[in-house]
Amino acid sequence: MTGLFTADVENRGLVLDPRTKLAVMITLVVFALGGTGDDITAVRCGTIVISILPMLLLVTAKQYKKAALFTVLFALVKAAELLLVSRMTGAAVSIFGICCMIFVRLMPGLIMGAYMLSSTTVSEFIAAMHRMHVPQQITIPMSVMFRFFPTVLEEFSAINTAMKMRDIRLGGKHSGKFIEYRLVPLMVCSVNIGSELSAAALTRGLGTKVRRTNICKIGFRVQDILVLMLTAALYVLLVPGMAGVVK
Amino acid sequence: MNTAAKLENVTFRYSNGDSGALNSVDLEIKSGECLLLCGSSGCGKTTVTRLLNGLIPHYYEGELQGEVISAGRNIRDVSIEDLAGTVGSVFQNPRSQFFCVDTDAEIAFGCENMGLPEDEVRRRSAEAVASMHIEKLLGRSIFNLSGGEKQKIACAGVSAMLPRMIVLDEPTSNLDLDAIDELRTIISGWKAQGRTIVIAEHRLGWLEGICDRVIFMENGSISKEFTGSSFFSLGTAALNSMGLRAAVTDSSCLDSPCGVTPIKPFSKSGVISLENFTFSYGRQKALDIPALDIPKGSVTAVTGHNGAGKSTFTGCLCGLKKGFKGRVTIDGKTLRPKDMMRLSYMVMQDVNHQLFAETVLEEVMLGAEDSEEQKALDTLEKLDILQFRDRHPMSLSGGQKQRVAVASAILAGKKLLVFDEPTSGLDFRSMECTADLLGSLDDDITVLIVTHDTELIGRCCTHLLHIENGRL
Repeated sequence: MTGLFTADVENRGLVLDPRTKLAVMITLVVFALGGTGDDITAVRCGTIVISILPMLLLVTAKQYKKAALFTVLFALVKAAELLLVSRMTGAAVSIFGICCMIFVRLMPGLIMGAYMLSSTTVSEFIAAMHRMHVPQQITIPMSVMFRFFPTVLEEFSAINTAMKMRDIRLGGKHSGKFIEYRLVPLMVCSVNIGSELSAAALTRGLGTKVRRTNICKIGFRVQDILVLMLTAALYVLLVPGMAGVVK
Repeated sequence: MNTAAKLENVTFRYSNGDSGALNSVDLEIKSGECLLLCGSSGCGKTTVTRLLNGLIPHYYEGELQGEVISAGRNIRDVSIEDLAGTVGSVFQNPRSQFFCVDTDAEIAFGCENMGLPEDEVRRRSAEAVASMHIEKLLGRSIFNLSGGEKQKIACAGVSAMLPRMIVLDEPTSNLDLDAIDELRTIISGWKAQGRTIVIAEHRLGWLEGICDRVIFMENGSISKEFTGSSFFSLGTAALNSMGLRAAVTDSSCLDSPCGVTPIKPFSKSGVISLENFTFSYGRQKALDIPALDIPKGSVTAVTGHNGAGKSTFTGCLCGLKKGFKGRVTIDGKTLRPKDMMRLSYMVMQDVNHQLFAETVLEEVMLGAEDSEEQKALDTLEKLDILQFRDRHPMSLSGGQKQRVAVASAILAGKKLLVFDEPTSGLDFRSMECTADLLGSLDDDITVLIVTHDTELIGRCCTHLLHIENGRL
């Protein structure tokens, strides 16, 4: 299974340092989602460039179909926002404009988030957190989630199959209890797996007082520097932009 | 010889139930020996393994009396994590004993936690990989491995920590015969390195020639002790009377010719005709059966090696595979995959996935008409679970859950029941119950069982269907 939360180590293409991915994510939130520096032309162009970056990363991970789909969608909606919305009036502007805006602002961040989860392994994540001096009390529960989600998704798909065979579906005889029927076995299985997972981790020595080693090599490479320069450029442009030097 | 671990007059009761309790157990484990703990479900053998690795009393709560010394330390005074370097553990469920998502990191995980220097971690992981010959599993995602491969990675991770004692709790219950053979090789390797090995198991045959001493447990006490050789010369009848599975691993079901072979007299007539059962994953053809007749009303065991296409076959038969185009003809009616889903039902290995309702009665009524309550009660009675009608299905034992799933399938009018390894991890009595259940279903219900369990096949199957490489 190669789902949203599963790091596909066999096929993940361009390897970026987890910290670089985090920097891109934060920049996307600040500029694309938050709309910072929207009134400065240079920053606005930079934001479009960085919004396309997640799609490029998908290409390196060989997810061509998704990458193409999202690029086309993004281009269409962005074009619509730029060309059509300015010519509209009244209710059309509010409805159509808001839809476009939400889509253009949210989508890059969501794709980046999914890419981050699907391309970072647990050990890389722990190593990166360690380098950023995040305490173990925060890192370890978060890394357990990395491992827990794909397993729960596996369980979920097994439950779905079982429900199909029992003909329990939306619009069927038992649609009122559709959610309950799905959640009960999911919760029972998740609790079992969670408790077995913790027991296994403890017997492997997770949580000792000793300082943990990490053999995973992370570090900034050429691709990291390029991407980081791109994100830095946005912040750099913002300062003279706000001072009115750059338009 | 030195003592690796010692239980002195140990009594333990889990705080949430009676099953698995121990009553004044005395046991000394010598260093370097390979010890097998056996007995029926709930006899306390898993509890003993949990005492040795410290999961009891530090993780599973309960009332503990007596002294447990594991690797020279009193279990009450040492935490599970600190014991990790000296006592390694391998568990039953390959899905839930991994922490990392890639194999390299998983093998190194234990050593990393011990805080060993980086070079040492690398050296030990490489050694563990080399001694188990699993180089080809490196650099893989855990989620793309088979159960057997996962269990090998778990063993490698434990091995890299160089523990003095290794505790295995039903390590083969999700493995097929080939994977069990490989696990046997791994354990012989550990034994040759002088490690102490403690295994709690239902399946016994694979341990012949490896284990030095066998402890037979009943109701939380040690009732008999054997040497390895005297235990394995006991014979099937004696083992069965102790509630244990046979010790002979009989793989003759894999020697039968491909296709359907009758193994018992069978008088019912009529067939279920399968046509065009072909299925591919991407470019890889997993199943290629142009035509096949399965006797209607039979109990047919589906056998074949790992990766032979058994689960693809049953998935197609239940209409669960997307893009599958085959057809099934039954009673003169031809069914498409969508209708096959209405007619068939799969009882999964983990029954927890398919029990949804609040009470057993509600569960079996899900697929039935409201007017059929009397029929539902009759079915429950026939399957011997009527007394649980108001219990929550999840509160039942594994075998009882299986029966509830079967009852719900019967009431939903399913005519084709598929079982995926129904007896993996079951002791002798539960296996016997499952066999009785499968043999006692109505005449018009056809049963297919994907299984490696020769005891089960001998008890209830009328036909064998052998598949290899997706073909007959």
